Amino acid sequence: MSVIVGPRVIDAGVSLLSVLVSPVPVAAGFPSPAQDYFDGRIDLNAHLIKDVTSTYVVRVSGESMEGAGISDGDELIVDRSLEPRDGSVVVAVLDGELTIKRLRITPTGVILQAENPAYPDIEVPALANLSIWGTAVRCLHHV
Amino acid sequence: MPQIAHVDVNCFYASAERAFNPSLEGKPVIVLSNNDGCAVTRSPEAKALGIGMGDPWFKLAPRAKEWGLIALSSNYELYGDISSRVMELLGRYSAWLEVYSIDEAFLGVKGSPAELLAAGRSMKAAVRRNVGVPVCVGIAPTKTLAKLANKWAKNNKAFAGVCHWDSVPASEREALLGRLSVEEVWGIAGRLTRRLNVMGIFTIADLVRADPVAIRDKFNVVMMRTVLELQGTPCIPMEEERIGRDQLIFSRSFAKPITTAAGIRQVMSVYGQQASARLAKHGLQAKVLTAFAGTSHFNPKDTSYPSVCVPLPMPTADPVILTKAGHALLPRIVEGVRYARAGIMVTDLRPSGNQAPLSLFENPHEERHIGTLLEDVTRRYGRGSIGLGHGGIRGGPDWTMKRDMLSPRYTTHWDELPLVKAA
Repeated sequence: MSVIVGPRVIDAGVSLLSVLVSPVPVAAGFPSPAQDYFDGRIDLNAHLIKDVTSTYVVRVSGESMEGAGISDGDELIVDRSLEPRDGSVVVAVLDGELTIKRLRITPTGVILQAENPAYPDIEVPALANLSIWGTAVRCLHHV
Repeated sequence: MPQIAHVDVNCFYASAERAFNPSLEGKPVIVLSNNDGCAVTRSPEAKALGIGMGDPWFKLAPRAKEWGLIALSSNYELYGDISSRVMELLGRYSAWLEVYSIDEAFLGVKGSPAELLAAGRSMKAAVRRNVGVPVCVGIAPTKTLAKLANKWAKNNKAFAGVCHWDSVPASEREALLGRLSVEEVWGIAGRLTRRLNVMGIFTIADLVRADPVAIRDKFNVVMMRTVLELQGTPCIPMEEERIGRDQLIFSRSFAKPITTAAGIRQVMSVYGQQASARLAKHGLQAKVLTAFAGTSHFNPKDTSYPSVCVPLPMPTADPVILTKAGHALLPRIVEGVRYARAGIMVTDLRPSGNQAPLSLFENPHEERHIGTLLEDVTRRYGRGSIGLGHGGIRGGPDWTMKRDMLSPRYTTHWDELPLVKAA
């Protein structure tokens, strides 16, 4: 078994997230006037991932969050280190499955809300009765 | 005086699987070794069924259904990523981190007993919360005691997963040491245990009372260190990251035996490229390559263990050269013999680019960056999408590892992300 020697950033599959904003190359012979201003491309990992140890990318299956702009097949960036609050979009463990819902914390109890009238809300007596897997911070919506 | 924290993940492979598949929670889960051979990780529920470490899967399979036992192939991509997350997180607690194995690490920590205990609890909570796997923590003046404290934390619920050795009343510690066999000590196993027993040393308490010098004379300096460490004197230093690692081995048992030199050739091609990729990743070059193959130990007739050591023309990480060097084994392969494993080992490793070779000796492939190219393509299109000659066949030749019960590679492959239900 191999020994992992050092920490590693989120792996290849995920770092497809990089966008080219480099200056257009100029014809050979003349140095680009932009070259002194080029500090590297935008790295989406740097902007979208606050903590590499706690951030995972998951894929949505189903339509119950359409109202929140989260569609079937979208990818979500989920940060496990965040404290879920009233209004957070969370991944909760329900019946052994990872499920995406809007968290509502009210004086009378906790509600896992769907963002689609076709799907029912789920009421939970208290936050302690609920296993929250992580908090969604971004949706990579396919347009 | 700094203390040492030993942190390890409970049932690591099973816990990594559960982090993404909560339906496995509370169920007996085992993870199988390479080629789905035998159980290498067992959840507590699987242990409770009487499943032993290393029990072969073919013996368990017929009863799996009746037990509700879930068996999974080793998902090394997942475990490697989870491991690196755990280690990175632990690194935030101490600049002095030694990654001891895929699922355990030693950390140098300082503070009052209350602060140390708080730090241990904070590590445990952070790994659970951020990464999603449970760990236990043992904190003590030496590595050997930290390991022991960790084991205690795992087995005694009163600790809630974190044991600071010095905070436990001396009477309780002595009672524990008097109860545990010497076998429970880090580094002491079967044969050593018997030799210690002959000397009247049965429990850890017996060993703590032993004279370190007498122990050195009877055994060796390693055993003496163990005794001193148990007495509270640190003797096993923290190792820095092993940059100067001196060898890399790529070897595996085959899912089914290979009986031809052509088959072994294919194996060498794949390992040559894996070695190249690993060397490049660590910024290393090798000077010597050893290629070997062997028949099964369970097949006493027709034994054959060919091996060849090839000095490389210059320090290199070039896949073409490494693969060709591996082919030196082929003339020694006996056709028709059933080879059960083969591999290559690269040794005499040095940082690449340390000394620039004369251009005369510069390697033509390295110049054309073949290694980097292969790596780029692999990163983009997945393992096995490109390769040299016999090594680059998608779907894999039939000797590659059998992983029939593999879970998705949730965190390293875009096509295999965990699914969350919106229903």
